[in-house]
Amino acid sequence: MEHVSVVDTEAFTQEKLRELIAHYIEPGRIPKIIKVITDTSDFFRVEFDNVLLLEGNPYFIRNYEREGRFGIDEQPKFWVKRAIDLTDGSMKIIKMVFHEEFRTTIGDLSFDCYRSSKKEARILTVVKNHSNFMQGSAVTDSAGNLVRVIDYIPGKSMADSVLSLAESHEEYFHTHFPSVLDNFIELVHAIKFLHDREEKHGDIRRDHVLWDRQSASYRWIDFDYNYLHKENIYGYDLFGLGNIIIFLAGCGDITVQHLKKYNEQTFNRIVENDLNILFNNRVANLRKIYPYIPYALNSLLLHFSLGAPVFYDETAQLLDDLGEVRSSLS
Amino acid sequence: MNAEGTEVKKTTGERHILLALDESENAKRVVLYVADFLGGVPGFRVTLLKIIPEPPEDYFENDRARKEWIENEREKGTAMLENFHSVLVHSGFRNDQVSTLVKLKPCPSVADCILEEQQRLHCCTVVLGRRGISRKEEFIFGSTSSKVLHSGKNCAVWVIE
Repeated sequence: MEHVSVVDTEAFTQEKLRELIAHYIEPGRIPKIIKVITDTSDFFRVEFDNVLLLEGNPYFIRNYEREGRFGIDEQPKFWVKRAIDLTDGSMKIIKMVFHEEFRTTIGDLSFDCYRSSKKEARILTVVKNHSNFMQGSAVTDSAGNLVRVIDYIPGKSMADSVLSLAESHEEYFHTHFPSVLDNFIELVHAIKFLHDREEKHGDIRRDHVLWDRQSASYRWIDFDYNYLHKENIYGYDLFGLGNIIIFLAGCGDITVQHLKKYNEQTFNRIVENDLNILFNNRVANLRKIYPYIPYALNSLLLHFSLGAPVFYDETAQLLDDLGEVRSSLS
Repeated sequence: MNAEGTEVKKTTGERHILLALDESENAKRVVLYVADFLGGVPGFRVTLLKIIPEPPEDYFENDRARKEWIENEREKGTAMLENFHSVLVHSGFRNDQVSTLVKLKPCPSVADCILEEQQRLHCCTVVLGRRGISRKEEFIFGSTSSKVLHSGKNCAVWVIE
């Protein structure tokens, strides 16, 4: 079914659209004929300089988004576009429907995952006005596809913010880590908020947390991943939180390769049980590297190590321990 | 024979054993163990339970895909339990002492779903297999047998390896 139009629509004529677009780009770059799209079924056809009309709202399409994953940077996400809302000039992220099912492998474990617009749409409703989640809403296009219109967050990821904080780990840990930890605790509370409502984030990783300068808060982004859980519905989310706190405590990933190259003495003290339970090249037992890391924090980190005698089943348990760690730092 | 909706009275005099089963080899071991241990012994009845955890609707691209998935799972579950039913009858259980139950339900935890059925059917014992999962798997996925062991109340739990 063809829903693309290059003729004037009732509400937004070509002339009207050019007039609106003129507020945001140079006159010479305004397209002579503006392709107006109402059906996003084939998201590859939604291109730069098109106008996407969703429930009567015109969005001027800019570039597609990219995302790094498992060390491979800059994977294009053709179903995710940046766009200007022509009614108020705000920048939006437009996420079109891309339903995929796939098997994710982490370490030597693999499990079924899928990407779902319905899940993300549902969570956007659940987290409306929550300062630790991206904000937006889902609208249907003319073909019934559930398109998510998300407020653009221009800030850095949490990982990038942390890595630029200090010259040395010791300086970082004593000067910056307490406030970094406060932010992390707030973010874990936000995940608990989801879990309390029987929702998973589904793809918790450090580049899925962005600093929103406007609200001065970190926000979780991208909720469209889901996984078929087994007994522990939130296990994978907790694993993601564990990876982030290990990263934050270490001011970056401490890999065995790095230690072997730059700190062989410490490398020789690392045993298998000190490593991250799934990413077996990352060290979780950071106290062996940074002896000033308090025992309470290190114990928490070890819950995510190969040698862990017990695991966290839920965010509430993790929050209890985080509270104790925070007290030990103040 | 289907146990769904038939509240089993505690006064039948027979001890009611619930076998929680799936498609794994461990499930076969559970059935063989019970057949070997209780087959032909008077005073016991069993329900063979297969829980189908219903994925959230967003797992499916559309409602048709969801219905097909459910139908397929039900057929597989029913065939499996019928097969196990025969094994128990051959071991000495009377036909009317073995019920089968394929239960489709949303399950944040399969263990909780098993224990709900145990309570509803007034089973005195739950029997299930253990997959022997690694610590990594237990961390990410959790362990149904461990949770049943720790959460089961007013019942015995047999874990077959």
